[in-house]
Amino acid sequence: MLALLAQEVDFVRPAIDWHAVAPELTLLAFGALVTVMDIVWLERGRRLTSSVASIALLVTMIPIVTLALDGEDRVMFGGAFVVDNYALVMKAMFLVAGYVVVLLSTNYVAEGDYWESEYYGLLLSSILGMVLMASARDLITVFVALELLSIPAYMLATWRKRDLKSNEAGLKYYLMGVFASAIMLYGMSLLYGGAGSTLLADINEAVSVDGSPSAIVVVGVIFVIIGFAFKVSAFPFHTWAPDTYEGAPTPVTAFLSVASKAAGFVALLNLLFVGFFGRDDVYEPLIWILAAASMTVGNLVALRQTNLVRMLAYSGVAQAGYMLAPLAVASDVGDAALTATVTYLLVYAAMNLGAFAIVLAVARKTRSAEIDSFKGLFGYAPGLTIAMSVFLFSLAGIPPLGGWWAKFRVMEAVIEAESASGVVLGVFVAVNSVIALYYYARIGLGMWAEDAPNGDTTPIRVPASLVSALAITAALTIAFGVYPPLVSEFDVTLLAGGLGG
Amino acid sequence: MSDFLRSYLTVGIFGLIGVALVGVFLGLGKILRPNKPTLAKTEAYESGVEPTGDMWSQANIRYYVFALLFVMFDVEAVFIFPWATRLEAYGTFGLIEMAIFIFILLLGLLYAWRKGVLKWA
Repeated sequence: MLALLAQEVDFVRPAIDWHAVAPELTLLAFGALVTVMDIVWLERGRRLTSSVASIALLVTMIPIVTLALDGEDRVMFGGAFVVDNYALVMKAMFLVAGYVVVLLSTNYVAEGDYWESEYYGLLLSSILGMVLMASARDLITVFVALELLSIPAYMLATWRKRDLKSNEAGLKYYLMGVFASAIMLYGMSLLYGGAGSTLLADINEAVSVDGSPSAIVVVGVIFVIIGFAFKVSAFPFHTWAPDTYEGAPTPVTAFLSVASKAAGFVALLNLLFVGFFGRDDVYEPLIWILAAASMTVGNLVALRQTNLVRMLAYSGVAQAGYMLAPLAVASDVGDAALTATVTYLLVYAAMNLGAFAIVLAVARKTRSAEIDSFKGLFGYAPGLTIAMSVFLFSLAGIPPLGGWWAKFRVMEAVIEAESASGVVLGVFVAVNSVIALYYYARIGLGMWAEDAPNGDTTPIRVPASLVSALAITAALTIAFGVYPPLVSEFDVTLLAGGLGG
Repeated sequence: MSDFLRSYLTVGIFGLIGVALVGVFLGLGKILRPNKPTLAKTEAYESGVEPTGDMWSQANIRYYVFALLFVMFDVEAVFIFPWATRLEAYGTFGLIEMAIFIFILLLGLLYAWRKGVLKWA
């Protein structure tokens, strides 16, 4: 070791493909710009920050589009940073989801006087972490991206700092998040110790030896997966989610339940398909249990919820189970599992953000997220009721909405595996879809058929930014279902850095 | 037993010896020394000054912000020292990289300054 350190190594400037890192650099520059605006103008710059944040996200789409048109796979830093179709699709998803979150936040944060410059600055840096995660093919890059996206999110969860519930939300999220990071880091250190490299491609080579795996590899793989199971709130690592979702400001909840969860899945996909792919005898049983338990427990507990945000939290646990299901048969179906999970992520982002947009819109009048407060919504807000029904039935997986296609892809993948475990998992998905329909439909029934509490039927005034958020999410939810090629055109394959370069 | 576990055995024995050593010394002292407590002896020792007040005293919350700023620049120093030793090898590229790094950290300091965090009053 000492001899290694003493060795004078000539420094070679790493080749940087500026086009490939343009999305990250753009976001970084805009994040710094928001801070500079705050430093220079203080209070006077605050009104502009939400516009700057939305412009930042739209401008960042430009290099993504040019990279997609270019179509060339780019590998940098010895394979630690990869730009391929899969990475571009996920980056675009994070940016669009981030844009919708900015739309959801605009009025909420401005009216609550919630430190706007800091809010959007942190939001941009969290999105930067997610965008980076999509390209990360190296343990250190994965970890840096994870912390970059998590640490701002911990703070955003406590954003209503004079509200005890918001403090509870942030603290729980922070403690559980740090705990998960610690477990994951321990797993990563074991994997690095075994492989002698942090590159996922090298780790795959080291762990994918024939015969039974060594104890260190088993523990390493399991710990790393468990670390991300916290992030995607899979059972039994979901305990923080309901409290955090309920206490955090609703736009932040939308951000956590969609973008942050998707980032966890992106990291899992990178790890499973590049890092551990040959070690399916270790990760497949684990993922199978996580998937089956998440959907069952999430759905059963969601049945009993009286608060819509908590219900969406448990439904999110169940949805995480559906998304994990194809990964439990990844070695049999290969890229079909990847496509199924990515499709589900895209559809889930649209429909779940939409549902939270409705919660925000209705809460502007009722100041409550209780399910009872949605009763009789059709009487005074027919537009919102129709949109909410679209999102709920899409979440339940009713054709012709997006959620149906996503579930179909998941079922297709697990059945295609032609193994007993795949078929049993398919049965789990089917039974759970029926359970889930009950609690989604119950809200729909209340909205359409029952009377408003207290007979209060003054109409809701929905601000323009919320209307555009609803328009974007509803259009995507319907479009994904009516014209599935829109999502399944991205038949993505994951490029292993260093291997396929 | 494999070599791997054997090396951990050394760690275990080392730990046990450590615990035993401390136990033996403290235990011997306890047995040998006379025990005559007086009021002055049982008081907390504060550099010879007579102790006053409650031992639970509140620290000003502002120390926390200063501590945070300190950590920020402490971490910066950790990165700058190894960089400085190889600056010639890194050349202009390294200089620009470090300038960007320091700029981003500096934004944090400027932010704290503009928000009035650096004023004690």
